[in-house]
Amino acid sequence: MDTFLNILVAGLLLGGIYSLVSIGLNLVFGVLRVVNFAHGAVVMVALYVTYFFYAVFGLDPYIAVVLVVPIMFVFGMGIYWFILRPLQDEPMMQTFATFGLLIVLQNTVLAITRGEPHSMNTELSRLVFSIGPLNVSAVRALSLVVATIIAGGLAAALRYTLTGKAIRGLIQDRPVGVLMGINVRQMYTLCVGMSAALAGVAAALLAPIYSLSPGLGDDFILPAFAVVVLGGLGSTMGAYFGGLLVGIIEALAGFYIDPTLKQAIWFLVFIAVLILRPSGLMGRLGAEEVGLRGNA
Amino acid sequence: MDTAIPRAGEADAPARQTPTIQRTGGPASRPVWPHLLGLLVLLLPIYLLRGNPFWIGILAFTYLFAGLAASWNIIAGFGGQFSLAHGVFFGVGAYTVALLYLRAGISPWLGLLPAMLLGAVISALISWPTFRLRGPFFAIATMALNEVAAVFANYFDHLTGGPRGLLIPFRAGLANMIFVERWKYALLTGMFMVLVVIVSLVLLRSRLGYYLLAVREDEDAARAAGIPALRVKILGMMISAALTAMGGGLFAMFVRVIDPPTLFSLQDVGVKFALLTLIGGMGTIWGPVLGAMLIVPLENFLRTWLSDVLPGGHYIVLGLFMILAARFMKRGVVGAYLTLIRRRRA
Repeated sequence: MDTFLNILVAGLLLGGIYSLVSIGLNLVFGVLRVVNFAHGAVVMVALYVTYFFYAVFGLDPYIAVVLVVPIMFVFGMGIYWFILRPLQDEPMMQTFATFGLLIVLQNTVLAITRGEPHSMNTELSRLVFSIGPLNVSAVRALSLVVATIIAGGLAAALRYTLTGKAIRGLIQDRPVGVLMGINVRQMYTLCVGMSAALAGVAAALLAPIYSLSPGLGDDFILPAFAVVVLGGLGSTMGAYFGGLLVGIIEALAGFYIDPTLKQAIWFLVFIAVLILRPSGLMGRLGAEEVGLRGNA
Repeated sequence: MDTAIPRAGEADAPARQTPTIQRTGGPASRPVWPHLLGLLVLLLPIYLLRGNPFWIGILAFTYLFAGLAASWNIIAGFGGQFSLAHGVFFGVGAYTVALLYLRAGISPWLGLLPAMLLGAVISALISWPTFRLRGPFFAIATMALNEVAAVFANYFDHLTGGPRGLLIPFRAGLANMIFVERWKYALLTGMFMVLVVIVSLVLLRSRLGYYLLAVREDEDAARAAGIPALRVKILGMMISAALTAMGGGLFAMFVRVIDPPTLFSLQDVGVKFALLTLIGGMGTIWGPVLGAMLIVPLENFLRTWLSDVLPGGHYIVLGLFMILAARFMKRGVVGAYLTLIRRRRA
């Protein structure tokens, strides 16, 4: 029983990390209807930016986040203006271009760092709480807490602020949103920027946990897609709970079946959701069909 | 009397006999011989480069990827289904041919047939659930499938050799499909390219080809017109997958070392097919072939010259190419050429 609970907690904490990455991905996927294959690579770039501040100025990742987030926001705006905006209404080309971006980012980082692995071990990364029979790593617990705050905060912002309402309007029906006077480009710039900024937050929280490599993003992008499909297109809380669920499934499957098969497990979940409930746990029905309609 | 309204019985009789498709100005109305001539010209470098082992090797790869991109183009270009799962069929073909040869001593020439069959069957099984997804969802699901295949290839190591891969010993001979002279490989992969182009030509002139185009243009309208869209997509996918598996088998015999990271690499296999086709021109006969002729030699050149200076440098160039092609050359080289001709005529 203790083992089971420990695995459950480990899965929940892993799920917190997945949630963090997926919320940003879902913002772009849900609002712009773009499959951003480069999102994992954006998280990876944010980690290297964090490392830059750590190695050059000796800043702790948790402090550097104040600088990394605005930098990543501008980076995200750049992605929108140079790659996504010119390809609006062409989902296939956007998908293709984000894959190109993924390859460019990965290999540029590889060329700069020459593939040497780096890591940022702070005092915190070794800190482990014990609550009864449970062992909880402090940095992982923190990432779950922050993911919860971000998911709740973003969902509230989308619900209650005027900008949030505009974004939700665009998710539901872009042409009508445009007719109501919503500035599409401004909202899209904001969404892609925020998505990258959230990758910056994720990077600060991941920094003490993962060692850096250019291919790091690949570990996140597939589960993040599974999470987005599971949670529902454009739903922040869906991405949050979907992330926790995928984390728990991965931890349980890793222990009781085989850790090397975890990709296959995600995929089965993914396909099952797509077939049984294509709109996801918290998404709108028929969203998966809208994806193709370029003019949607 | 000509303008008289025909009676019910007469009205549909001539319509049934007339092969209306042939008169619409579609692909079927154009002659085939320029295509065949073009293929012959493309095979000419084998003779010219036969003495240069470095360039003939690149040429063999170029033909192989031209054929593979053209196979992908059948379902993605004609059928409009942006599959990223073709690495699966490529891998299935490579493993089938290699295993039948290594374990059962079956000649790779014969092994290509079960490889193609297996590729087609697996593609049908994969397609049935994933084809209900559209656009980006289909792309994500098929990409995930590719990752799953890589995981399985690593996991079932008693069959695939796992991460260590399979090594095919060098025993030269026609029956083994292993040659000392490198130009024979180029001839082999060149023939593969010719085969795929001919299949594409035949397909575009067939009912299935027209159905695929109709589904690509508007799936709902096609369905409303009575086209069994799901069956058409699955058939297109099976043809495409069988040819991809054949290419995988040839790849295995050419490089003679196969392992999961090589076969299921997205940037070198699954997405590469898409890159070549998009740069050349999606949904055209010659787009994928021209894309391969441009990109594969360039990539090999960059890989050779940049690897010391800049690790991964050739990927940076390829990635930039993808972004620029998506932004500025949406219809590829062939599309740009056709636009130019149309403008000159107008």
